[in-house]
Amino acid sequence: MKKFFSEFLRGIIKENPTFVLVLGLCPTLAVSVSVINGIGMGIAATFVLLGSNIIIAMLKNIIPDRVRIPCYIVVIATFVTINEMVMKAYSPALNRALGIYVPLIVVNCIVLGRAEAYASKNSVVNSLFDGLGMGVGFTLALILISAIREFLGAGKLLGHTVIKGFQPAFVLGMPSGALLVIGLLLGFFNVLKSKKE
Amino acid sequence: MNATQFLTIFISAVFIYNVILSRFLGLCSFVAISKETKPALAMSLSVMFVTTMASIITWFIYRFLLIPFGLTYLRTISFILVIATFVQFVEMVIRKISPPMYRFFGIYLPLITVNCAVLGVAVLNVDMFFMNGKAIPGSFYYSLFQGICVGLGYTLAMLLMSGIRERLDLCNVPEAVKDFPLAFIIASIMSLSFLGFNGFKF
Amino acid sequence: MKNKFIVSVSPHLHKDESIGKIMWMVVISLIPAGLAGVFIFGLKAFWVIILGVISALVTEAILQKLTKKKVTIWDGSAVLTGLLLAYNLPPQVPFWLPIIGSVFAIAIGKQVFGGLGQNIFNPALVGRVFLMASWPKYMTTFLKPFDAITSATPLALLKEGKLIEHISYLDLFLGKRGGCIGEVCILALLLGALFLFIRGYLSWHIPITYIFSVGLFTYIFGPRGLFTGDWLFHILSGGLILGAFFMATDYVTSPLTRKGQIVFGIGCGLITAVIRLWGGYPEGVSYAILMMNAATPIIDRYTKNKIYGTK
Repeated sequence: MKKFFSEFLRGIIKENPTFVLVLGLCPTLAVSVSVINGIGMGIAATFVLLGSNIIIAMLKNIIPDRVRIPCYIVVIATFVTINEMVMKAYSPALNRALGIYVPLIVVNCIVLGRAEAYASKNSVVNSLFDGLGMGVGFTLALILISAIREFLGAGKLLGHTVIKGFQPAFVLGMPSGALLVIGLLLGFFNVLKSKKE
Repeated sequence: MNATQFLTIFISAVFIYNVILSRFLGLCSFVAISKETKPALAMSLSVMFVTTMASIITWFIYRFLLIPFGLTYLRTISFILVIATFVQFVEMVIRKISPPMYRFFGIYLPLITVNCAVLGVAVLNVDMFFMNGKAIPGSFYYSLFQGICVGLGYTLAMLLMSGIRERLDLCNVPEAVKDFPLAFIIASIMSLSFLGFNGFKF
Repeated sequence: MKNKFIVSVSPHLHKDESIGKIMWMVVISLIPAGLAGVFIFGLKAFWVIILGVISALVTEAILQKLTKKKVTIWDGSAVLTGLLLAYNLPPQVPFWLPIIGSVFAIAIGKQVFGGLGQNIFNPALVGRVFLMASWPKYMTTFLKPFDAITSATPLALLKEGKLIEHISYLDLFLGKRGGCIGEVCILALLLGALFLFIRGYLSWHIPITYIFSVGLFTYIFGPRGLFTGDWLFHILSGGLILGAFFMATDYVTSPLTRKGQIVFGIGCGLITAVIRLWGGYPEGVSYAILMMNAATPIIDRYTKNKIYGTK
């Protein structure tokens, strides 16, 4: 049980998909403009990640190596479609907010990346926890980045204006700003890490 | 079909709406593989090859399969499958030609499949060169050329970034921002400077 | 690994003066432009300049102290960055704008790369572009010279297709136009540049090729057909003179060799002209220089002088 927990934890800190593995940047840049969107995308991506990791781990011995990537894509696309339909039905507002990035989860590097690097080589249960950990790690990264970008770039948090008369820096709502925030956060984490040692 | 359109495609795809620095597609590999020029160029060549071939194949699929059978809503998924198959093929080739390069690319080679730049150019071709469900004259050649140019734009961004990072390798950069943090910050400044091309009208 | 080492490391010094002396000389050469800006736009401009310079100094001092490096804020480079940033701002920006701009310029444009000599991009321009993207309204509201009402810059008027007949070349040359504090008085800028030329701190390659490229390109692609462009207007407008003589020429962020510098100048000129003629923004100098800064390592790589005996 401890081993499963450490697999899970790995995806959050040591191998955080956004900050350490440098995956899934395109949607991160686009979606992390507001915290609500960040949370929404994180949950959706986690669902797809869980589903695809489990199925691919189950099928790993059947899928021929030479065509494994297209096969993974089919599995991933299935879950992305399920996710899209569920979102359209139960949270249409969020679906509209995330727009094109809902179907684009199919090209989220994290999902294919984990399928290729982990689920194809590990047991179903391990893959489940890996998917969960990576998904949560991605979501937490999204929340952190979008909190900064929403507050400093739009003067709001969760849609509410926090400080009156605050002139937000629009650049943070743009991808350039996102790249800057991620870079500075990474540097900050490195400083924390070196202080711990 | 005229020469100005080709010129416009070239300048747009490579400079004005550079796939990485203006459209922000293909960033994962951009930040990860741009540390040294040789691998950066190798990755760029691979991506350019895939974008070109993907443009060709997806054009045919759209024109002769999806439109006639009214299946255009299957665009994304069919394009992705085509790209995935093709990248698998590229992977096999690289594995054979240069195993060390293959190992170096690691996860980022199969990730060309989901490189937003590749799917992006396929979708862009369809959006730009088909009107009301019909291919505009010269559509195929424009799409092919745009595929090549997007690859060139990707190469340009990679070349610039690897040049910068190699130069910084010789300096003593603060420990905390070495490698990735600085790469992100450089990407941020580069994309800020490319904002200058916003609102372009020929 | 052998071909990773280049023989010389930037910045290149052709005399045995220290970096400090050069930086301070450039600062001195920029004083006329600043005085002109204050004269034309009033006391507000003065405060912008002071705030810009002081913020730059303080930021650099704090960052160097935090990273336990030697505090070198009196080498003139921070002052120069703060000054150039302020010169690139409209005169009546809110007080916090030059402060944030300078902090960003020094912290992100310079220190994050490891400090003086290691930055890839011109720090003042990094700051300006950041401010431009963050608070576009403040960065594009200009004052009428010798007045307190707002007015558009000549290039902005050109971009909107409005007539600019009431502004003469002399007006542009002396600075009687809306614009950023340090960019408007061409006379003052040229005086400063002349000073640097005479003392040997400035070489002609980048400024001349830059200005010439802009002039040629805007002449060819004129508004009423080929070869009808008003190249003199373009050369005297916007931030071209300020950029070509004082920012594109920054030792650290421009190529080492003469050949490379010419390529750099032409590149800057082309991009500036293209943005001015067909881009969404009226002025493209900052963006052009930053883009060419990014290309400088590659330019250096392919124009470096061959070492005798190697391939």
